[in-house]
Amino acid sequence: MAASIYEDFKQGHSLGSGDRLAASLTPIAPAEYPDRLRAFYHSGSGDVPDLHRTLFRNHKLKLPKQEQAAWVDIYTAYWKAAGELVKLDDGTEGASWSKVFDAWKATANALIRGYSTSSLQAWTLPCLYVIGKYLRLFAMRADAEQPSQESIGFNDDLQDDVVADFEKSAKLEEAARIMNRMFTLCLSDRAPIEDSRKWGIYSTTNLLFKTYFKLNSVGLSKNLLRALNASSADTPELEAFPKSHIVPFEYYVGVIHFLDEKYAEAEQHLTYAWKMCHRDAFKNKELILTYLVPCHIVTTHTLPSKGLLAPFPRLEKLFRPLCDCIRKGDLVGFDAAMSAGEEEFVKRRIYLPLERGRDIALRNLFRRVFIAGGFDESKNGQPPIRRTRVPVAEFGAAMRIGTHADTKSRIDMDEIECLLSNLIYKGLMKGYISRERSMVVLSKGGTAFPGTGV
Amino acid sequence: MSSGIPPWRVTASATATATHYPTHATPAFIPVQARRSFAQNAQVSTPAAPVSNPAPSQPSDSQPRKKVDWPLPVRMYVQRCFASENQISGVSREEMETKLKAVITEAADADRLSEVDWDHLPLPQVMIQNERIKSLTNPAVSAWGGASIMASPSNKRKSIEASLPRETDTSPPWRQTNHRNAFEDRVTYPKADKRQKIDMKNLSKSKTNLEMRKKRFEDPRAGYGSSPASSRGDSPAADAHRGPIVGRCQNLEKNYFRLTSAPNPDTVRPLAVLEKTLDLLKKKWRKDNNYGYICDQFKSLRQDLTVQHIRNEFTVSVYEIHARIALEKGDLGEYNQCQTQLRALYRQQLGGHPTEFKAYRILYFIHTRNWTAMNDALADLTAADKRDPAVKHALDVRSALALGNYHRFFQLYLDTPNMGAYLMDMFVDRERLSALAAICKAYKPDVKIRFITEELGFESDEQAARFILDHTSADLLQEQGGLVKLLTGKAGQLFEVARAEAHRVVDIKGQI
Repeated sequence: MAASIYEDFKQGHSLGSGDRLAASLTPIAPAEYPDRLRAFYHSGSGDVPDLHRTLFRNHKLKLPKQEQAAWVDIYTAYWKAAGELVKLDDGTEGASWSKVFDAWKATANALIRGYSTSSLQAWTLPCLYVIGKYLRLFAMRADAEQPSQESIGFNDDLQDDVVADFEKSAKLEEAARIMNRMFTLCLSDRAPIEDSRKWGIYSTTNLLFKTYFKLNSVGLSKNLLRALNASSADTPELEAFPKSHIVPFEYYVGVIHFLDEKYAEAEQHLTYAWKMCHRDAFKNKELILTYLVPCHIVTTHTLPSKGLLAPFPRLEKLFRPLCDCIRKGDLVGFDAAMSAGEEEFVKRRIYLPLERGRDIALRNLFRRVFIAGGFDESKNGQPPIRRTRVPVAEFGAAMRIGTHADTKSRIDMDEIECLLSNLIYKGLMKGYISRERSMVVLSKGGTAFPGTGV
Repeated sequence: MSSGIPPWRVTASATATATHYPTHATPAFIPVQARRSFAQNAQVSTPAAPVSNPAPSQPSDSQPRKKVDWPLPVRMYVQRCFASENQISGVSREEMETKLKAVITEAADADRLSEVDWDHLPLPQVMIQNERIKSLTNPAVSAWGGASIMASPSNKRKSIEASLPRETDTSPPWRQTNHRNAFEDRVTYPKADKRQKIDMKNLSKSKTNLEMRKKRFEDPRAGYGSSPASSRGDSPAADAHRGPIVGRCQNLEKNYFRLTSAPNPDTVRPLAVLEKTLDLLKKKWRKDNNYGYICDQFKSLRQDLTVQHIRNEFTVSVYEIHARIALEKGDLGEYNQCQTQLRALYRQQLGGHPTEFKAYRILYFIHTRNWTAMNDALADLTAADKRDPAVKHALDVRSALALGNYHRFFQLYLDTPNMGAYLMDMFVDRERLSALAAICKAYKPDVKIRFITEELGFESDEQAARFILDHTSADLLQEQGGLVKLLTGKAGQLFEVARAEAHRVVDIKGQI
């Protein structure tokens, strides 16, 4: 049974339930009550005393005067936003997402004012989350409806250069600035922790991360991390926050490190997110794995198992061809799979780490050279030892196979040495090259290719 | 902090101003006030009318005599008039008293003393101010009705000069405002604010607080949510509607200055002149090779293009040439500015050499180790781009480095198309250190210096040796049978340290 907006408002207050209160500010009607927003809009006139009566007197809701005024402000703005949404829904001429966004922005500002003047209590924070969430969504819709994306605007005349590159997401940038104020509002609250807006820091941070990623300015996220870090002393432990806040947070922090090629840190955060993620949150798990799998390939040189990817057919399709080529040491296949998936990889920003999988493919190819080299003759009845002195030429021959080179094309032995030296340098092979003798001397005792059993 | 005012108070004071009118006037607010005063026109003009009437009755100057026939509301009204918290800067006591007399006399003459709602009647100083505001925005009115008001304080202009400099000017204030362009407004805006604050010191505390509060809320409200950027952007936006200017300057050369106000057409060169300028600059660059001069000239050239909204093939070539010159001189900050602009210009298909610069862009991001931007650069490439030799070269360089294939990297380095080598020069030493770290770990016990020279693209064994000595110590190079060898076993750690040092994040001024 879905309640009206006023009912949610009243119940939210009398139960002290932030979520219930936030439900009244959700601009999307529940399925059971599709006309909820419309009813709200038509029930009012935007008149302040009217609204005040409906919100408080009619419900016999007793709140401090300041708080009442703050809520009336918020719901006045909300009513106008609802009006814009209804008009858009009705196809009224002149209605637009842009207007919805502007009205919603006013609602967000009213809410922020309510908090910054401390007339609203911290338990009502879910309202901030809901308003922030839709601020982002409406901004994106408003940006999308801008008529021509082709014409890039001119900078204002004080700029020296010709092109302003930012206009196509002007609304979203505006939204980001408001969200930033929401974030500061939470972070800078000095109230005792039981009743502090500090509980909102991760939720608002996540919203900003999401927006910055969309705006292609991931760099700005680092400012947030710095701010969070600076106030970490009086912030509760991460575990004390709701999982719904920290899983996305850890995910984004992981991805931010990931994009900086700091794969070890990235893996740590992503693994945390992976473990804490709700088991039915399919979409989130898929997102986490999109970055965790390449991370794992780079840091531990291991490939995802069939079982891990089985529930995620899209990821299976994305990673499997590459993984098969890596396993077989098929360099040509690997290169082909990389260029086949390039567009998708670049879009998801995983091209660069996946490319490093080539090292593992190469390692696997050279490992087969080592295995094919067989064993030295055993002495004195000792168990046989693998031949650890392998001519560079043999690796050259393997390359010929691995790259499907035809018999006429020359294999550059210096390049083979370079590849070998890299594998040794990166710890994928153990041993050394003797340039004098054109010989690779691998380490004995099953450590020539660490972690692979030989 | 502007957001520190409780919203309900904001609303309260907003409604208060609706009846009492804003009591301060900075240039930027005038249009807003104008609209309000028009709406209230009738109310304002009624008390204004009797100004010309001489006052027959004589209430005392400072305090009205407590005659029995003055009803209490009137006496309260008069008291309020003289209360210090109700004084308005810019309205002198004499003016206020004259007005007060007129108002009371008019009511007494019409026998309406008991009918007038004294509790809500605007104070005389407020009336005076409203009349002024009205006359400011409506020259026709001021010509007759406002004249006396404007003229009356003329004998004491000097005394209020400091607080109201606008009124001391001989030209009417509305003209000044109109003549001012948006940029000047922007510059003078904070000054006006300061003046306001100084005035407030003369006021009583409660009045000051009220004013301050109102001001605090008025500013952020105007550009609420869009915070500094949009409030800053207000005036230029208005300016932009006027459209681009067309220059009239015929000089070929012009020094670069950062614009602080609207561009003056007399100092801006039109396209035809700019085309000649470019030819001249190209010649001068070949002849004198004076980068300081050329860079300055190109910046003014770019500025002139921008203020005239010229965006065509010529624009592209200006940016391309400036970018190439900056590359040649290793001025990466300037190069990057051009590169960013070019990226946007190429998207509009204005010609030029997109693939050449897309290749540079990739090399540039290798140098700055900006992987996020690199990913964007890759996403920008079309299939056709990837077939272009320069782009392909840059992609191969990137891939060789990503995989640590120094052999391939240095082959590519020795065969770089266009001006890419200038960019590669910037990170080639860094990559040599990486390669040496790998070589030292992988090769035992030593390698010939010739091998290093060939693998790492040095021009001579001597150059290679010098490079090694620069980062390690002399005892790592040994001569055996006429051949110089690098003792790899011992050098590894040293190169590892040098490599890490060189790979610290490159911070380039002007980088996106």
